This record gives sequence, structure tokens and C-alpha cells, in this order.
Amino acid sequence: MRSLTLACLLISAFSISVYGESGKETFSAEQIEFFEKEIRPVLVESCLDCHTGAKARIGLELDHRAGWLRGSDYRKIINPENVSDSVILHAVKQTGKHKAPKMPEKGAVLSPAAIENLEKWIAQGLPWPEETDRKRAPKGSKHWSFQSISKIELPEGVGHPIDYFIKKAQKEKGVAMAPKADRRTLYRRLSYGLTGLPPKYDEVQAFVDNPESFDTLWPKTIEKLLESPHYGERWARHWMDIARYADTKGYEAGGKERRFVYSYTYRDWLIRAFNEDLPFDQFLLYQLAADKMVKDWNGPERHHLAAMGFISLSKNGAQELVLDDRVDTTFRGMMGLTVSCARCHDHKFDPVSTKEYYSLFGIFKNSMETRQPTIEDPPNTPEYQAYLAELGKLQKAVEDFWEPHLAEAAKAHPKLAKDKGRLKSMLGRDIRKKAGELQIKVDKFVANKEMEPAKALVVTDRAKPFTQKVYIRGNPSRQGDLAPPQFLKAATPNGEPAVFKEGSGRLEMAHEIASADNPLTARVIVNRVWMWHFGEGIVRTVSDFGTQGEKPDHPELLDWLATWFIDNGWSIKKLHQLILTSDVWQQSSSNPDANQWMLVDSENRLLWKSFRRRLDFEQMRDSILDVAGNLDDQMFGRTEKILEPPFSKRRTIYGFIDRQNLPTVFRHFDFSNPQETTGQRQKTTIPMQALFTLNSPFVMNQAASLSRLSEKSDDRVEVLHRAVFGMEPTAQDRQLAESFINGYASDGEKDRRQNLSGWSYGWGGIDEATGQVSYQPFEFWDAKTKIWRVRKEYPIKDSKLSYLSISKTRQHPGLGPEYCSILRWHAPRKMKVGIDGEVERPAVNLGRSGLKMTVVSSKRGILKAVTLPVSERSLSISVDPFDVEEGEIIYFVTDCDRDTSHDSFTWDPIVYNAANPGDRWKMSVDFAGPETPLTAWEAYAQALLNTNRFLFIQ
Amino acid sequence: MGMGSIGLSSLLADDRSLNPLALGKTHFHAKAKRVIHIFANGGPSQVDSFDYKPELTKYHGKEMPGSLLRTERKTGSLMDTSFEFKQRGQSGLWISDLFPKVAEMADDLCVINSMHANVPNHEPSLMLMNTGAERVSLVRPSMGSWVTYGLGTENQNLPGFVSLCPGGVPIVETQNWRSAFLPGAYQGTHVDTKKSTIADLIPNVKNSRLRPDLQRKQVDLIQAMNAADETDDPAMNARIHSLELAYRMQIEASDAFDVSREPESVRELYGKTLHGDQMLIARRLAERGVRFIQVWHGAGQPWDSHEQIEKNHGKLAREADQPIAALLQDLKIRGLLEDTLVIWGGEFGRTPTVELPTPGANSPNTALGRDHNHHGFSMWMAGGGVRGGYQYGKTDDFGFKAIENPVHVHDLHATILHLLGFNHENLTYRYAGRDFRLTDVHGEVKTDLLA
Repeated sequence: MRSLTLACLLISAFSISVYGESGKETFSAEQIEFFEKEIRPVLVESCLDCHTGAKARIGLELDHRAGWLRGSDYRKIINPENVSDSVILHAVKQTGKHKAPKMPEKGAVLSPAAIENLEKWIAQGLPWPEETDRKRAPKGSKHWSFQSISKIELPEGVGHPIDYFIKKAQKEKGVAMAPKADRRTLYRRLSYGLTGLPPKYDEVQAFVDNPESFDTLWPKTIEKLLESPHYGERWARHWMDIARYADTKGYEAGGKERRFVYSYTYRDWLIRAFNEDLPFDQFLLYQLAADKMVKDWNGPERHHLAAMGFISLSKNGAQELVLDDRVDTTFRGMMGLTVSCARCHDHKFDPVSTKEYYSLFGIFKNSMETRQPTIEDPPNTPEYQAYLAELGKLQKAVEDFWEPHLAEAAKAHPKLAKDKGRLKSMLGRDIRKKAGELQIKVDKFVANKEMEPAKALVVTDRAKPFTQKVYIRGNPSRQGDLAPPQFLKAATPNGEPAVFKEGSGRLEMAHEIASADNPLTARVIVNRVWMWHFGEGIVRTVSDFGTQGEKPDHPELLDWLATWFIDNGWSIKKLHQLILTSDVWQQSSSNPDANQWMLVDSENRLLWKSFRRRLDFEQMRDSILDVAGNLDDQMFGRTEKILEPPFSKRRTIYGFIDRQNLPTVFRHFDFSNPQETTGQRQKTTIPMQALFTLNSPFVMNQAASLSRLSEKSDDRVEVLHRAVFGMEPTAQDRQLAESFINGYASDGEKDRRQNLSGWSYGWGGIDEATGQVSYQPFEFWDAKTKIWRVRKEYPIKDSKLSYLSISKTRQHPGLGPEYCSILRWHAPRKMKVGIDGEVERPAVNLGRSGLKMTVVSSKRGILKAVTLPVSERSLSISVDPFDVEEGEIIYFVTDCDRDTSHDSFTWDPIVYNAANPGDRWKMSVDFAGPETPLTAWEAYAQALLNTNRFLFIQ
Repeated sequence: MGMGSIGLSSLLADDRSLNPLALGKTHFHAKAKRVIHIFANGGPSQVDSFDYKPELTKYHGKEMPGSLLRTERKTGSLMDTSFEFKQRGQSGLWISDLFPKVAEMADDLCVINSMHANVPNHEPSLMLMNTGAERVSLVRPSMGSWVTYGLGTENQNLPGFVSLCPGGVPIVETQNWRSAFLPGAYQGTHVDTKKSTIADLIPNVKNSRLRPDLQRKQVDLIQAMNAADETDDPAMNARIHSLELAYRMQIEASDAFDVSREPESVRELYGKTLHGDQMLIARRLAERGVRFIQVWHGAGQPWDSHEQIEKNHGKLAREADQPIAALLQDLKIRGLLEDTLVIWGGEFGRTPTVELPTPGANSPNTALGRDHNHHGFSMWMAGGGVRGGYQYGKTDDFGFKAIENPVHVHDLHATILHLLGFNHENLTYRYAGRDFRLTDVHGEVKTDLLA
């Protein structure tokens, strides 16, 4: 379990007193003794049950001096000008003056002596001993991350700056870096790191064989991969974790449409922004205030409006929580600050007051979602015109529905006649509900048709911005002081933020965030990029640079990188070049002295080896498609559901992200939680991950494709290893492959059936003379209804085959003894089995006859023959245990008994192992459609996709 | 099998940073090792089941004295229960005929009559009961995730937290069992018990194109290649280990969910119905070491009887009564009740007053039904170190509001964690700059409920 530290909510507030900061006053020993003897016992006895810590009633904390000075959420309790008129004294004297409640609420009234002492103690200035157990990290401005970024001067000739800082730190602790990884490893690591895709064998080989020196070749190689369009697809996804990207809003009751419809335009904007290396400060500005930066919303810059998805792709819910999410995503994401902790009380640890929180909150509250501007030209096609016509009809239905109701309401309230919104809200619940249902039809139509041109999910300022007030304890119905829009003190260089003047203040706020003078922004992003390359950040709590976060392991390096980044035009691509050309990044993931260094630095904070890591969900799925030759390169556009058949072949970044019901496969692979901003994904290893790569139809299909790539080759092992690992098979690999393929072929490929269930489904008859069954497998599987049939046509006209079919719950025979329906069970091994089960024909007394059932063994002939008369509903059919050979077949044959009318029936036989009745085959449980067993090479190809060699980056 | 590296890697099974499901440590010794939470979603009526109010008979059809508490919809006069209450067992607990078979187990039940929540609406109340945070848009892990995070799982071959719900999902959907910021391994695995084949129950748990013996060969090949590439890397070794677990999970999961492997007598005890089979699955999972099992009555909000309480509650109870009683009995026979905590209840209860028709409401033909009620409701626990044959707390004379020894949902959570060996204030997880816990800043362990 994790170490247990107190949550920010669990420690009482530390407030600024009217006299100055608490704890600085000095009191005489007598005063302290007086407090301990006369005051503290009274507090414990009468006050602290309700007025302690964060749970304190009305926010009044009487268990520490600062709490007395701060007062309740509503007012001061001490009047320093006139102590005896203090609210607290009126409360305990129970005078009722100043509307002071009578205290204590429970238990005895305070004695006159106690009240006198209390008054005396207040008049002394609340003497209180320094509480050692309340000591906390220095709040505020002294914390490292709020200091300006230091300008670190590098000595001359130190070589690569990153190596200089890290080697210096290593030297101090006596550890040393691992040797450089080989070219093949580095190329693969680079390819995954920048594009999220595995390198092709030829590329790797060309790089390995290139006679050019590594030092001149490597930067060019980095450059080449940075120019790949796949680079943006990888790095946009990193930022999408921070932006809690999802394609749905979250939970909506009453069948309302949940999809955003245009969320993809934000994702596409991100991909382009990374590919074009949009300077990071601009990148942030557009996401917060593109509405103000793009002057002409119909002009060539209009695509930048989509950047505002960063704000608007919030999880839905109560307004203050939506806005809180926007504040949180912005500040945790861009500045590594948990300002949301200050929503209900001043931040317990960081220099963020509730008032400052509401200053920022107000900026978002004054930024409203408006009509979504179109950012691409609508298609001029007949399909689109038809779509518009259809949409128009649905919209008109909504308007037509409202019209008479609105007219009526307008008569009743002539003053409001023009305010349709108000009128609507005054109409009855059932009317609004009906209108809502019609609107849902419109919304679903738009979302389903996917015909609308791309739009941007913008927010814009209210026409008349209002000044936000503090919500006391986060409660919107209890409002306190005004909180005008302004930036955080702690992140403002002179500590005196100006009040924003323009509209909501959002653009000004954005400039403060994306500023070279902001102590956090540049540090936070270089640290994130570092983490995405190394697995861990220089500051390991990547989204918390506050006092509860970790300190940087290499503070000088962090500051030097941040400064360098700003000086280099906030270019992320240049930052990649810098990091990737360092020895630190290029070292091997095994260090020969690992055993020694583990003792010094088990967490590898000194970077004495590279981090190995499992492919994340996107890398894994994209790689499987890619090595199988199936990856669809198409970029941009609307999402696709990637876990449902027909399995999409596009990159995972284009997959549909359902915020409310994200399929568990995503979470099993530690995909980010789309409900909130995610700085770093979990890194777990659980069996469900392996179940996906072993059993999912998607992976098996890809394995089959992969195997086909090698079909024409004389050396299939080589082809497959090159494709999957980008390298040649070793001698041992070849030997393992050979024994697998041979062993598999002898066991596996001799018996190809419809599926592996142990059962097969077909039709035929019994030769009366020999007791032999003639059997034809069903050739058609209706995947929708899950029924096996003779062919697609059903029923087959003018044929005795007519209604012949078998499903899990229903069978139907054809007409005549050669057209029986037949279930077959295949004995997997030699054993003693018994048979049980029931036949049911629901149409009792309908039709001219019942059914004839026969159980036949391929080795032993007829085992049982029974008739279900038309007058009976059901019949049990069992056979006492008998021996079967491996491969023996048991037939369950049903004859229509001369007439097929009303002959739909159920027969759910169970074959059980007499030695172990838990070992059993039940038709309805095992029932399956066609599943072609994997061939030896397909199974081999799938095995390669399951190896650590494929799934890990070294 | 027989790969050299497997022995080594199995040591890693205990490393929680790699394997989040490895066994955790409790804060103190406790009896309960696992939880079966039977969720009567929709809100079962306490005055018709576990909260005996003779005054309700007397005042039937009359206005409730004093002012009516606010609930979701308008309610009218007091309405008597149609179910007969009797004292049951040695303990003499009052339980109605709504649950005749559960009533026979009275001496094992610890009935809390003074539960209360915050609001009379399904979504927030479900969130409160399941995650301790009622705002639907707050992102908090569910109780099952917390418990699995605290304890890990005893059976690596099955998920640690399973949510059984037939026919779909409850209101607020998968959010009821999500892990939020806890690792995905702690998320509840939803199993739609209306589906019959194992492949439909849990995705990817069965391979449809590879016979088990051939898949074993395939896994052996993978492991041989992994062994050839052997490193000292814990994550890679953990994967070697989890591959074996996955292979075994296929077999174990098929077995765990197949109730037809039970003897006929056991199946009949549970009743061979959808709910009977589902409860039997719950027992099979508990027996196999699954840590937290939630058993929902059904998709949506089945217990939400705004109308015809007698008919609707009667039907629901007929579905649930025998399976629940069978579960308690069966656990007891197997000696599992001692260390299995069984919890029954909804997200809130219902009003003792009759619901009045509201135009445009979900059921406009309201008649003889009861509205949601969070002011007071009943739940019970059994086994796992709770005091059996015990009744705790009181509502007012009509069963509307908890007035004596009230137990808030946070208190229930604190008590459940206590029963499992955790101090609820210390079972925390650091996220976004603070330590979160199931009970947030609330919760008090109700020691009277402990055996």
C-alpha cells in the first residue's frame, strides 16, 4: 500500500489572521500555562467535538489559533476592538446578541468562571503554544516551483548539456551510465517514441548497415521520423490524456444524445499542431482563446477554432462541476497545479486561496458554449442535400410542436412574448418532455448520419461579463466576496496580479499561462516531454508541482531545459532533438553494474539505465495491425469503434472514446481515464491483457493476415520474424518454430470442423439397414440471428429441406427421413460417457405428428430411438454410460415423423464424463457459429505477437 | 509448462507495483475476507419489509402528523403495508412476509433500520452508495474497487471485483463499479448473467479458434521465447507470470460461471431461476476467492415501485427471496458465512405515504405506490463479523425518517471497511495532490453492529 499522508482535506486550514501570520507571536510561559490549564480543557470538553479540522461546523475551527482568528465561513468571531462584544462570547454567554447561536449546543452551559477566563484569554491575544504536530511544508511562495526559472550557465566544453547534468549527479553518488544501446534497439525505441509504430525491417537494416558515423546519422534519423505524419498521431494522443479527451459528454438520463459529434476536430487540430510544430506557447493560447485570436471565423485561420475542444470537451454535470473540471484541466494540465483543491476552502498546501480559485472560475463561467462554427466547406453533393432536407423535416417537427404551446403561453404572459426561452420554461413538464423527445430525434439524426461539415466546439465570452463571487464551502447558493478575474499571485512574477479587463479575461489568463515569465508552464511541459521519453519525469508527480508533489530529481537540468525550450521558440520538435541525442537517452536498458547501482538508487532516478516499458494500448494495437500489413494510414476524421467487428484498421487514436462506459479492455491496458485530466498512465501487468492478445478475434484475425504474408516464402520463420520484430530469427527461434509447427500439425490440422465447440450441425438420415448416418454439414451461418442453415434462402421453396435449421434454442427438421436435423458430438478422447437432456415440442396437438429422435454412435450404431407423440410436450432422453473412442461421433438425429408442420423444437443434449460429471458438453452452452481453427502458422504468428520481444520496448 | 523463468516470475506476483491484484495488507485483523453486496436497485420499501410500524395500520389513509418531509414527488396520506410482519427466529426480529425465506434466516441478520442518505434521486444515491460521492460528475472509485485495492485478490485466476447484473446495466451504468483514478485492474468486471455462454459473459475469456491443448503448446512457445530473451526486468517477468494466469483464468472462469456443475439439490435450493442462478454464481465466485461481488437485481431500477407496491414489490421479492435465503444458508453450511460479509439494500428506501399522481412523471398512473425516501431506510448485513439477530436504529413512528442511532451511508462504508480490517481514514490513495478515501471526510464506524 502507499504511504499514508494526510489528505489536504483532512488537515485543518491555515489562515492568515487579522494580526498577521499565526504562530509568530510570542507569549509568556505564564500565558501559555493559563491556556493549558484553564482554556484548553474547556475547549476539549465543550467545543472541539464539532469545531475541529476540516469537518468543523460552519467552517469554524477552534482547535488551533489560526482558526480562532479566521472565524467561521460567515464572519469573525472575535472583535479585537471590543473583546467583550465578540460573537464567541455572546454565544457562550447565550445572550442572543448579534444573532449568536447558543453554545455549546450539546452539554452544559459554560460556568461563569470559564467564560471569564475565556474573555481574559482572548484579550491577551489568544496565547497558544507552538504546535509541533501542526507543522507543515512552507505554504506558498518559498516552494521551488513558484520561483522564477533559474538561468543556469553551462561551463565551456561540457558536451551534451543533458549528459553534463546527469553525469555530474551520477558522479556524486558513484554510479555510472549503461553502455550505449545497439543501433537496432535504438532505432526501434526511437520509432515507437516518436511515431508510436514499430520500424520496418528494411529501415532498421538500412540504419544498422549504414557506414556513416552514428553521431552524424542519428540527428538525421530523428529528423526523418519527426517529419513522419505519424509523429503527430503519437504526440497528440499524449496531450489528449491531459485534455481528458472523449467523444461523449458522460452520463445523460432520458435517452439524450451523449456524443459531442465534433470532438474529432479537436483531435485533428492537435495532430496538425504537433506535426507542424506549432510553438508550444501558441499551442496553449489557441486552446484557451482561439475565439479571440482568429479574427475572421470564415477565413483561412478558422481551423484553429477547433483547439478550444480543450475547454469544451468537459464531462457534463452540474454547472459548477463542469467549470471546475475546466479550471482543473487547464491548471493541472498546463501548470501542474491542483488549484481545484481551493474550491471549497483555501488550498491546504499550495498558495492558492479560495478567492483566487473563484477568480479563475469566473473566467470560465463567463465563457459560454455557443453555436458551433463550421470550419470546413459543406459538400456540394446530392447526398448532403438529401440529408439537409431530412434534417429540416425533423427540426420543423420540433418547431411545429412548440408553436401552439408558445402562442398560448404568450397570451397568458404578453410581457414575455418575445422571450421564447422563458416561455418554454413556464410550460408544463409533459409538454417540455415531448419537445425534448423530438429534439433528441434531431440530435441523434445529426450524430448518426455523420454528414455535417466539421465544426469547432468553441466557447465565447458573455456579452456582459459579471463578476464572480466566492462560493462558500463550494456551495453555489452561499455566495461570499467578489472574486474579480485575475491570475494566481504565486505565479505572477511581482506577486501582484492585475485584474483582467477584456471580456471574461480568458485571453489575458491564457497569456499569463503561456508566458516565459510564468515559473511553471515551461517547466511542466519539458518535464512531461521528458516523462514521455523516459517513462518518468524529472519531477515524478508530473501534474503536481505543488508542495505535495515531488521535488525535481535534477533541478538544475529542469531549469536549464525550461530556459533552453523558451529560448528555442517553445519548439517541441527541437526539444525532442535535444533529448534524443543525449547519451542518457541512448543508453542500454541493462547496466552491467545494475546489482551495485540498485543498492544506491533502486528507482533509477539517476538514470543509470534506460527504462524498459510495455507497449501502451495504442502502440500495441497499432503495431499488431502494422506488422500484419493491415494498418490503414488514413488520417483525421470521425471516430470508429475499434473493439467491435468489423474491427477498424485505423490507428487507435481514431477510436471512439465513450467517457461513460469506456470498454474495460481500454482500462485493462491502463488507458487514461477520460473523466479527468491524466498526467501519467498506470503501468500494470494483469492477466486480462494477455487474454486480449491470446483470445480476441481481432488479434487472431491479424495473426491470420500476418501468417499469409509468409505464405509464399520458403523461409516463413524469417519473413515473420522480420515483420514482427524487425530482425532475423536466431537459431533457437528457428528450432522452437520447427518443433511447434511439426507438433501442431500432427495434432491440430487433421480434423477441420465448423468450430471447436465439440459440436457440429447439419442434416441427413439414417440407413435403416446398417444404422449408419449420412451427414451433411450446414453451409450457411446467419450471423445476425445465429442460426445454422442449409443455405441463405430460408425457408427453401419447393424443397424437402424447407425449414431445416439449428440454433441454440430451436431446431427444425426437413420433410422425410433423409432430411432429419442432426447434431453431432465429437469425443475428444477415450472415456466413458453418459447422455442426458430433454426434447421439447411446444406446439402440443398441433400438426399431424410429433417427432422421432434417434441417438447413434459412429462406432456402436443406434443407442436409443424414441418418439414424441403430437399430444405430448416434452420427453427426457438419456443413455447410460458407455465407452467412446477418441474421435468417435455421437449423432442426435431428429425426424419430422411424416409431417413437418409445427415441428419447431428444442433438444439440448448433455454428454457427460461418467468418471467426472463436472466434465460435460451441453449443446446450448457450447453452441457456436463457424470459427475456423487457426492453422499452425497462424498460431505461430499469433505467438510472436504475444512475446515480450514484441510487447516491450528495450 | 516447465519454463525456468516461471518459478522466478511467480515471486513477482507479490509485488503490488507490478501486479495490483497481489494480496494487500489490512490495518488490523478482521473476520470478513470478502463481500457479497446484493443491490436491490431502485429502492425497496422498508415499511413493507424490515421496518415494522404498527402505527401505519392505525393511521392508514390519514395525513401524517407533523409536516411531510420532502421527497422527489408529491405524496399524500399514510398507506399501510399489505405484508404481514411477524417476529422471527430466536432473536424475534420483525420481518414481513415480503421476504418469507430470508426471514427464516433472521438470527443471522443485522438489520439497520436507521439508514439515511442525502437526496431522494436515483443517480446521486447510487453514486453515494457505491462510491461515497453522490455527484454523478465527481470521479471517485467504487467501494468494490477500494476493497480490491486494499485487499488484492485471493485468486489470481479470476477478476478481483465482479458485478453481476442481468439484462444490462443499472442507472448511471458502469460508473457504479468503476475504478476512476485507481488502476484499471480494480474496476468491477460486469457480467450480464442473462447471457448463457461463458464467451458472452466475459469478453476474450475463451478462444474460439484454438483447442485448449494446442493453445497450451502456443503458450509454451511464447514462454520459451520469453525465457530465451530473459532479463532481470520485473515488468517483463511479471508479464511471463500473467500469461500463465491468463491461461488458467480461461479454465477457472468457465468453471466458476457454470452453475450446471452444481448438484441438483444445490440448484434447487437456489431455485433454478435467473436470480437463483445468479446468486449461485455469486457463491461460486466467493468460494473461489473473488474479493467483492455485487449482485444487482436487474438493469435499470427494478425496485422503483412508484405504483402498485404490493404487486410490484411482491413480484420482485418472489424473484429474490429464495435465492438470497439460499445464499445465506449455503454459505453457512460451507463455513463461508463467517468470513463473507453479505450486504443487502437499495440506494434508498420508500415513503410510508402514498405517491400522488404527477402529470408527465415516469408513471402517470400512479396508484398505491410509494416515492423515493432517503430520510430513513433499511439495510441488512450478515456474516463477516456482524452481530446476527440484531436490529439497530429506529425511524419515526411511520418509518419515514431515521431518528435513533442514524447511520449515514458514509458510516456504513466506514463500518464495512472496518469489518474488512481497514481504518477507513487510512485506506487512501494519492491522486491529484491529495489523498483520497472512500469516506472522504466523513464516516463513523458503528461498533454496535460488530459481533
